[in-house]
Amino acid sequence: MSEVRGIVFDNVCKNYGKSVAVDHLSMVVEAGERLILLGPSGCGKTTTLRMIAGLEKITSGTLTMDGSVANELAPGERNVAMVFQNYALYPHMTVWDNITFGLSLQKMPEPEIRSRTEKVLEILNLSGYETRKPGELSGGQKQRVALGRALVKQAPFFLLDEPLSNLDAQLRLHARTELVRIHEMYKPTMVYVTHDQVEAMTVGQRIAIMNQGILQQLDSPDTIYRYPANVFVAAFIGAPPMNLIQAKVQDGALWVGGVRQEVPQEWHPLLLSHTEVCFGIRPEHCRLTDKPSLPGAVEFVENLGGQRCLHIRLQQSGQKALCVMPSEQALPPGAAGISFAWENVNVFAGKAGTNIGRPLSLRHHCA
Amino acid sequence: MKIKLTGGWYWHVLLIGALLIQLWPLLFMFSTSFKTMDQIFLSSLNPIPSQPVLDNYIYVLNNLPLLQYTANTFIIAGSITIAKLVTSILAGFAFVYYDFPHKEKLFNALLLTFFIPITVIMLPNYLLMAKIGAMNTAWGVILPQLADGMGVFLMRQTMRNIPRPLLEAAQLENAGSYTILWRIVLPLIKPSAIAMGIVFFINAWNDYFWPMLILGDKNAYTLPLALQMFISAEGGSEWGVAMAVAALTSLPPLLLYLVCQRFIINTFMQSGVKG
Repeated sequence: MSEVRGIVFDNVCKNYGKSVAVDHLSMVVEAGERLILLGPSGCGKTTTLRMIAGLEKITSGTLTMDGSVANELAPGERNVAMVFQNYALYPHMTVWDNITFGLSLQKMPEPEIRSRTEKVLEILNLSGYETRKPGELSGGQKQRVALGRALVKQAPFFLLDEPLSNLDAQLRLHARTELVRIHEMYKPTMVYVTHDQVEAMTVGQRIAIMNQGILQQLDSPDTIYRYPANVFVAAFIGAPPMNLIQAKVQDGALWVGGVRQEVPQEWHPLLLSHTEVCFGIRPEHCRLTDKPSLPGAVEFVENLGGQRCLHIRLQQSGQKALCVMPSEQALPPGAAGISFAWENVNVFAGKAGTNIGRPLSLRHHCA
Repeated sequence: MKIKLTGGWYWHVLLIGALLIQLWPLLFMFSTSFKTMDQIFLSSLNPIPSQPVLDNYIYVLNNLPLLQYTANTFIIAGSITIAKLVTSILAGFAFVYYDFPHKEKLFNALLLTFFIPITVIMLPNYLLMAKIGAMNTAWGVILPQLADGMGVFLMRQTMRNIPRPLLEAAQLENAGSYTILWRIVLPLIKPSAIAMGIVFFINAWNDYFWPMLILGDKNAYTLPLALQMFISAEGGSEWGVAMAVAALTSLPPLLLYLVCQRFIINTFMQSGVKG
């Protein structure tokens, strides 16, 4: 399976009448990787997945799978396995028949079907449930049968459409690690749609973030978390989300409200061409201190269990900032605002919202 | 959940009264078939025969080619049922899963057929059957009833309730339309299809008007036509015999209903819930 050459989107668009679901998407899904399509509902991620499966026709552009153009291929000819959001198990068939349905249609020899299915049932802990019907299974079991039905095909492309969204939190955690384990066994090219950023971070080797049909950023989870490409990604990834603070550029410094913010020398060339920016700092990179660079007052404290999230109202500008600190740590006495290190800062252009980049001296952080 | 019947005795009286009015003709049919001619005219409203006799049944079984009539009716009703089921399921499937030009218009045209009374299409159909030489044959009765607008409508509604991902999952397995219909759709709509088939069968079995126009020859008669022989002016009014034939005629649909009532009740209840 290692010679498979992945999935290439070249300027792919999908329109429904006048509304645009996917807008000039160009990206490469490397063979054998786990790529997550992440975004809010209606961002076009499921449409993108369904275009790979052939369940949606491509309006324009080229989709290449395994080295050949797939635009006009019927779903059954694309050699994809898919797990649907609501599992789409055939309610009138037993677990065994659900899993073997596709193989028997391919007229695969009976012993081969049997050995593949038994193996999959064993991997997924479903042995003993062969004769049950989907109606007699729990949500987690149904999800595993759906997974089994896709796995047993041993297809080079493995598509998952929010496969864990119907599971409770605990099962989801378990299923996430299972999915990664199973992927490591077969190494198919996996495209996984979710709106859950934790799922994206834990399962994905790379994440493609979409919004309103447009690809916002495609990179490793770490890079996306540390260096979001624009304000949308910055706000979407991370819980609690990144602080995005509006500021003006004047005299080689940033002004937040009326408060002057000294900027390290190496940032100057980048900032000079802008008048308004938005600078982003993760709440965990903020420190509550008595000598703050951003003065403000704690409005209230949210308990997140192991951590506390402080909501801070900044002086003068009135903007809100979040700061996360360990629960066991007491609030420093005389705290008058937050401070941060510039190496953890991302700066976004005022109107466009795109990341203006980082000084050369800090580039080594970009893995 | 069981709802307890409480209060409103007058409702019960009303409903029981309505039930009796419905059942009265049936009861009378059965009781008259066990009466002699004398009893029939003596006790006009007494449903219980004073001395039940089997004479009418013996007469019917000895003197009428009842087996022939039953076979005729079975062939006609069975063929119509199968044909209507096949066409309704295929058309419903096409309306739900295929995109083709003027789909909505075609479907609306189909719905319009509900409102065309049989008397309007009777004459053209009759002339057509005469032209193709189908008079006096089972074909003449069957051919104009191969499809049914209501059947297509019901099958379409039922199939629309099947979640799309089920079919998409099958498509990904390279299942063709035939496989999808046969292995996925049909098993899921089975209860509705059976219920609809029963309704088709009972209607075709009881149909009187169209077979009467087509079948002039006594050998080709269906049971409802045979029944008519005893109550028509020519045949005299042998009520006892007529009721025995009527009772025998109504048995097969009744049995069919009893065997399959689970499907009928389920389907009608589901359609109530899903709307």
